[in-house]
Amino acid sequence: MSEKNEKLIADYLKGMLDDQGKREIEELIAEGDIDFIDFRAIEQLHDELDMIPIPEQSSNLSKNFYTMLEEEKGKSRISIRNTVREKIMEVLNQVTMPRLAYACILLIAGAFIGNQMNSNDAEIKELTSEMQTMREMMMVSMLEGPSTTDRLRAVNISAQLPSVDQKAIRALFFTLNNDESINVRVQSIEALSRWGDNPIVREGFVKAIANQESDIVIITLADAMVELGLKNSANEFQRLINEKDLNSATKLKVENTIAVLS
Amino acid sequence: MDSTTDKALMMKVKDGDLDKLGLLFERYNRPLYSFFYRKTFEPQLSEDLVQSVFERMLKYRTTYSGTGAFTTWMFSIARNAHIDHYRKEKRRKEDEILDEERIASDAPTGYMEMDERHQKKLLLEKALEQLDEDKKEVVILSRFEGLKYHEIAEIQGVTESAIKVRMFRAMKDLKQIVTTLSEEYSHE
Repeated sequence: MSEKNEKLIADYLKGMLDDQGKREIEELIAEGDIDFIDFRAIEQLHDELDMIPIPEQSSNLSKNFYTMLEEEKGKSRISIRNTVREKIMEVLNQVTMPRLAYACILLIAGAFIGNQMNSNDAEIKELTSEMQTMREMMMVSMLEGPSTTDRLRAVNISAQLPSVDQKAIRALFFTLNNDESINVRVQSIEALSRWGDNPIVREGFVKAIANQESDIVIITLADAMVELGLKNSANEFQRLINEKDLNSATKLKVENTIAVLS
Repeated sequence: MDSTTDKALMMKVKDGDLDKLGLLFERYNRPLYSFFYRKTFEPQLSEDLVQSVFERMLKYRTTYSGTGAFTTWMFSIARNAHIDHYRKEKRRKEDEILDEERIASDAPTGYMEMDERHQKKLLLEKALEQLDEDKKEVVILSRFEGLKYHEIAEIQGVTESAIKVRMFRAMKDLKQIVTTLSEEYSHE
């Protein structure tokens, strides 16, 4: 058989042929260039391959993976700590006596200027507070906009805020529960996690579980719950498994999360 | 599966958010296990190789560029993990192959008492096991893992045309092996 015909049959098996391609195969069979019995046997064999059973994996696979991940995270933390330590030592090693004297002068000058500025502290605080209010207003307004990019940007603005008020939290939860974009929902979980000490955020997260359909949002939410140690979310996750038809990977993840939280 | 999200997750792993690899593990440990099992028919080895793939993803995370499908990158790592294992175990494997060849000609215990469906399952498994390694890989990635021919071509480092030819010839060989084994087992 020619390579051209072999490729044509491979495309047929993959379901890649359009009507013209299928007609071409029929013509080649009719002309005897492709043996009909061979062709049908290969097609049938291709279908029957599903019969080969795959045994269940052992629970060790998951256990070994997460152990390895934790070890790697530990190594990574040590490596960052060492890098910071090395940098500090590098700077300290460069400080010779004249430099040390210069550093002391700068320190004294800084303390003096700081002292002079204390009188304006109240003004600075007021200005900072006003700026934060404006940022929050802008964020809430952008969250309600039609553009996904703007909504994503709004969620990111929340990350720059040193604190958020209830209105901003409500807006972020509204986004988490209702936004049509999965990316925006995922980002809102990450943004809200920053305020995980806030009781409203903790309560909102638990309630949000029942509103989710997307696997990636559910998985991200599960990770956030573990990170924040929200043990009371285990029941909500159990209800989610019972009531919704989750795909097997998501279900496994949620079951693992429940196990961690319980 | 949303490949953009896979890429985004892997990019986060690259940036140091290692927990995101857990999500990729939950998504892909089963397809990888199936891939290795169909290649080796050894459950424990398949699990070890899955673990090896995720170890390599962590080790080489900084080299992840995010170009192309995530699954192509992942199965390329899987392929290399299998090749490395095979090379490492080559001497032992060669001895085993001699044993397997001898065993392969024997009919599996109770073959004649099995119903037609069980016989077929067994024949397909044995035939896939005997298929040439590159051809077997094309069948596994195309038929079971749902990869496109151009993605398999990238993994095996050949053209898409070559993969299509390889796929057809793999199916043809498989048909021949099934016929031969069926005759051998029935005459014993």
